[in-house]
Amino acid sequence: MTIRGKSDSVFAGVDLVVVILYVAIVLAGWLFITAASYDSASASPYSFSNFYIKQFLWIAIAFCVALFVTLLDSRYFHMWAYPCYAVGILLLIATLLVGKEVNGAKSWFELGSFRIQPVEFVKIATSLAVARVMSEYSFSISRFSNLVKVGAVICAPLIIIVMQNDTGSGIVLGSFLFVLYREGLNKWLCIPILFIAGLFIVSFLLSPLAMLLILISVCFLSDIMMTQQWRSRIVLLAVMLLAAILLYFMVAFFAPGEFSFYASVLVVTLFSFVFVVVYAIKSKVSSIFISLSFFLCSIIFLPTTDYIFNSILREHQQRRILSFLGIANDPLGFDYNVNQSKIAIGSGGFFGKGFLDSTQIKYGFVPEKHTDFIFCAVGEEWGFLGSVVVLSLLCMLILRLIQIGERQQEPFGRIYCYCVTSILLFHVMVNVGMTIGLMPVMGIPLPFLSYGGSSLIAFTIMLFIAVRLDASKQQF
Amino acid sequence: MIDRDGGYVRMRVLQIVVLFIFLVITARLFYIQIIDTRYARMSDGNTLRREVQFAPRGEVFDRNGEYLVQSKACYDLMVIYKELDREGFDTVRFCEVIGISKAKLIKELRNARYRPRAPRLVANFVSKEEKLRFDECNFKGFSTIYRTARQYPRKVGGNLLGYVGEVSEQMLKRYTSYRMGDYVGLSGVESAYEPILRGDDGVQIREVDTHGAIKGSYFDGAFDTLPVSGRHIVSTIDVRIQLLAEELMRGKVGAAVAIEPSTGEILMMVSSPSYDPDELVGRERGNNYMKMLGNKRGPLFDRAVSAKYPPGSTFKLIQGLIGLQEGVLTPTNHYACHNGYRVGRLHVGCHPHTSPVALRYAVATSCNAYFCYVFRDILENPKYGGVKEGYDVWKEYVNSFGFGRKLDSDFLSERGGYVPDRSFYDDRYYKSWNSLTVLSLSIGQGELGCTPLQMANLAAIMANRGYYYIPHIVKKVEGIDSLDSRFYKKNYTKVDPKHFEPIVEGMRQGVVEGTSRGAALPGIEVCGKTGTAENSRGRDHSTFLSFAPMNNPKIAISVYIENGGFGATVAVPIASLVEELYLTDTIMRPELVERIKKMKIDYPVYDNKR
Repeated sequence: MTIRGKSDSVFAGVDLVVVILYVAIVLAGWLFITAASYDSASASPYSFSNFYIKQFLWIAIAFCVALFVTLLDSRYFHMWAYPCYAVGILLLIATLLVGKEVNGAKSWFELGSFRIQPVEFVKIATSLAVARVMSEYSFSISRFSNLVKVGAVICAPLIIIVMQNDTGSGIVLGSFLFVLYREGLNKWLCIPILFIAGLFIVSFLLSPLAMLLILISVCFLSDIMMTQQWRSRIVLLAVMLLAAILLYFMVAFFAPGEFSFYASVLVVTLFSFVFVVVYAIKSKVSSIFISLSFFLCSIIFLPTTDYIFNSILREHQQRRILSFLGIANDPLGFDYNVNQSKIAIGSGGFFGKGFLDSTQIKYGFVPEKHTDFIFCAVGEEWGFLGSVVVLSLLCMLILRLIQIGERQQEPFGRIYCYCVTSILLFHVMVNVGMTIGLMPVMGIPLPFLSYGGSSLIAFTIMLFIAVRLDASKQQF
Repeated sequence: MIDRDGGYVRMRVLQIVVLFIFLVITARLFYIQIIDTRYARMSDGNTLRREVQFAPRGEVFDRNGEYLVQSKACYDLMVIYKELDREGFDTVRFCEVIGISKAKLIKELRNARYRPRAPRLVANFVSKEEKLRFDECNFKGFSTIYRTARQYPRKVGGNLLGYVGEVSEQMLKRYTSYRMGDYVGLSGVESAYEPILRGDDGVQIREVDTHGAIKGSYFDGAFDTLPVSGRHIVSTIDVRIQLLAEELMRGKVGAAVAIEPSTGEILMMVSSPSYDPDELVGRERGNNYMKMLGNKRGPLFDRAVSAKYPPGSTFKLIQGLIGLQEGVLTPTNHYACHNGYRVGRLHVGCHPHTSPVALRYAVATSCNAYFCYVFRDILENPKYGGVKEGYDVWKEYVNSFGFGRKLDSDFLSERGGYVPDRSFYDDRYYKSWNSLTVLSLSIGQGELGCTPLQMANLAAIMANRGYYYIPHIVKKVEGIDSLDSRFYKKNYTKVDPKHFEPIVEGMRQGVVEGTSRGAALPGIEVCGKTGTAENSRGRDHSTFLSFAPMNNPKIAISVYIENGGFGATVAVPIASLVEELYLTDTIMRPELVERIKKMKIDYPVYDNKR
């Protein structure tokens, strides 16, 4: 996997898997951007004004940057972590004061004809700073003061970004919870935070049935995680599912239309409580009670969000929250964008329509098709097959980063790798999720695939710092 | 610090989380891309625009190959707002060339602005000449679409040929093969033969972008189809006599129908007042149509197949035939008539003539009394045990002549006329009625209602001595060898052909020395029967039923003129002139033509303002 033996080479230890995945994804991305911005009627297909020509240049620059980062001494990253972070914060503040507003977010810096988005680079700086803070010898995450320290490092840029009205990018930094969990953050702190945040967002998007099913699976998952007894839990889950389906059809047979599937699931769940409680008392597994009470709390919390939202909040407050969540940034545009995006992807079928043979993308039905909605080009032109290939590449890259992180001897390297992992994962999840209607529209790019120099170069630097750190681990 | 094993577990958990997220995304993709086919359809709805290529409508010829209905090129003028040259656009010139008002142009352009890249209709029925001039002017952003409109070179047969109009909401709901804006035959031949005349529109599937602008053809036109023009129809009409009859009928309300007895082909069919069929084509169609609707004489009402007229004395032919068949009458039976038929207080008047009369002369001179006797004998035939039973028998005979029911011709607007049931009189007279109560039926009065087509068919039955072919308007459809088999079937009446001869001889005698003398033509044995129908709407209706020549008849005709007076005054000359032209190809009596043309009948019923 790694180049060994040539210890004199600067490329010794560079993880080839990551490099190959990176190149493959970036080149594939160029293909999609070409498809998304190609205009057969264009008079000058090679002019610089075309997105695919511009992106080609950006890719070339990105490769140079990757090379440059790989050539740097890995100790610099440790050294520069805090200065980078400080510069990043200052840049953010500067943007907030003199930045340019694009699509309602004041997050752009304009230098001549170039526009850059500092937030992309702040993600790197924050990752470095978090890695630096957490890798201090005296650092212990179980100590409250240390936790506050890390929290401050994460939250400072997050707050500024949210103030820029770029909520999506701000929430990206929330994904550092992933890192904190790996580094031993008490799971009783971790799970509820994640859960309540998720629940609040999701409760606006999903049906009660979906919510209930998710709650049940989350409870089971947390219980399995806590007790490591997965066999009995899965058996119980299967029994419950079967019982719910049986109940539904039985009631539907005798009194059609009286009883929704949601209701039958609810009934079965409440009945199963009795068994679970009896089982917990008998086998003295107290953690089950934690899961159970958690489930009950959520069930109560769910209608509460609706109640708070609909009854207590005024209309302008509601709109602000929806806008904060990125749900109603553009009330007319929201449905339209996602619908068109779903139509584009859905019409791709299994094999897709073929390169440059798309209709929805080519004829402009999907907005932001080359940036935030680039995944539509994948889905429409390459179908399910192409989408799965692209997702697999991204998934392999993310899993590989976890693997790389785990083999670091220094905590700094490991933590940094996890930071990159969490940022990439969050981006992919939210971006792809929004194009297929699983996530609210948040306006964050798909790493390496979306058009845009800032984002491509920032992700390249971020990734290759990890590669550099990994390549150098033997030298310590 | 965390112990190594704890870190390992957490790594595993995180790996599972990553895989789980990707799995959910993949599952969702699988659902929307493969299971849910809705999105593929919606994508087509987004991008595919079907452009219709209108099929030229089939044309209609007369029996000698002359054009009755022609399709002429006309164009729909479309605009793409985005491509308009708004500075250099000379609206005055444009309106002049196309012939629309500036107000309409401005209104249409304002509507076009909502989808600036999609073509939108500005004006329809742009003629070929206008289009050529328009092309010279080179207005930017405008284009034309080829369609066809109807034109009528001989300007005859308004109700007969019918008109074409835009498809209605109800039709759109009922027939999925029509789209908004399609033209469809709405009456007459146009509607009866709609599927043949219509043809198949072609379609060009184009891909459009989000603004509605055309980006190219779909799969290089693999799914495009060319328009297939509608098939031509050769009608049975002879345009010469049609034209003559329409001219003669002008100024009179009524109908005239001529049939070729040996085939059932309708040679001429006039409903008067008629209209210039060209008036129901083009941009003025709506206005003209409303004007016609407002005309109290009802030019849009096809009297020839829909009106219900009392047949008057022409019905005596049937009475005689039934009497002969039933054996209650022989040709030599004599009945006395002294100015009419009297029973108690009941009196059916008659004009003065010699008495007593035999059957032939009774037909020739149209003796009322004679047929009162015959009719009563039919109803009171002891064979059936009662008048009411006798009436049922009589009605069955009448029905067999095509009265009181639809003839099943190819006119969709054909009506059945009216021959009352026994129950009708039972209801009206509380079951106490006899042959005297319904005596007026004997001379074709009373509740009887016949369409002019049925009467012409009676003339054809007389000519054929006992059978008819269902009258029809179409002789041949392009590409089809034969018509519907019902048009080739001989339909016999319930009267034996041998009984027809004395009646026909009576009809001949009528022309020679009876009421129909005006119908005589030199060298041609014309047979005829006049009718004068009393009615509640003013003067008597004038009607005449005729065929010629007596042996080997070529034409059977019925003319019905509302409030025309005696049968001989108007109906006879019209029928005679038509027969003359048809049989001899010339008119020897131009002064008669002029006289009839100038004859105007007053219709207080229609024209008086109430």
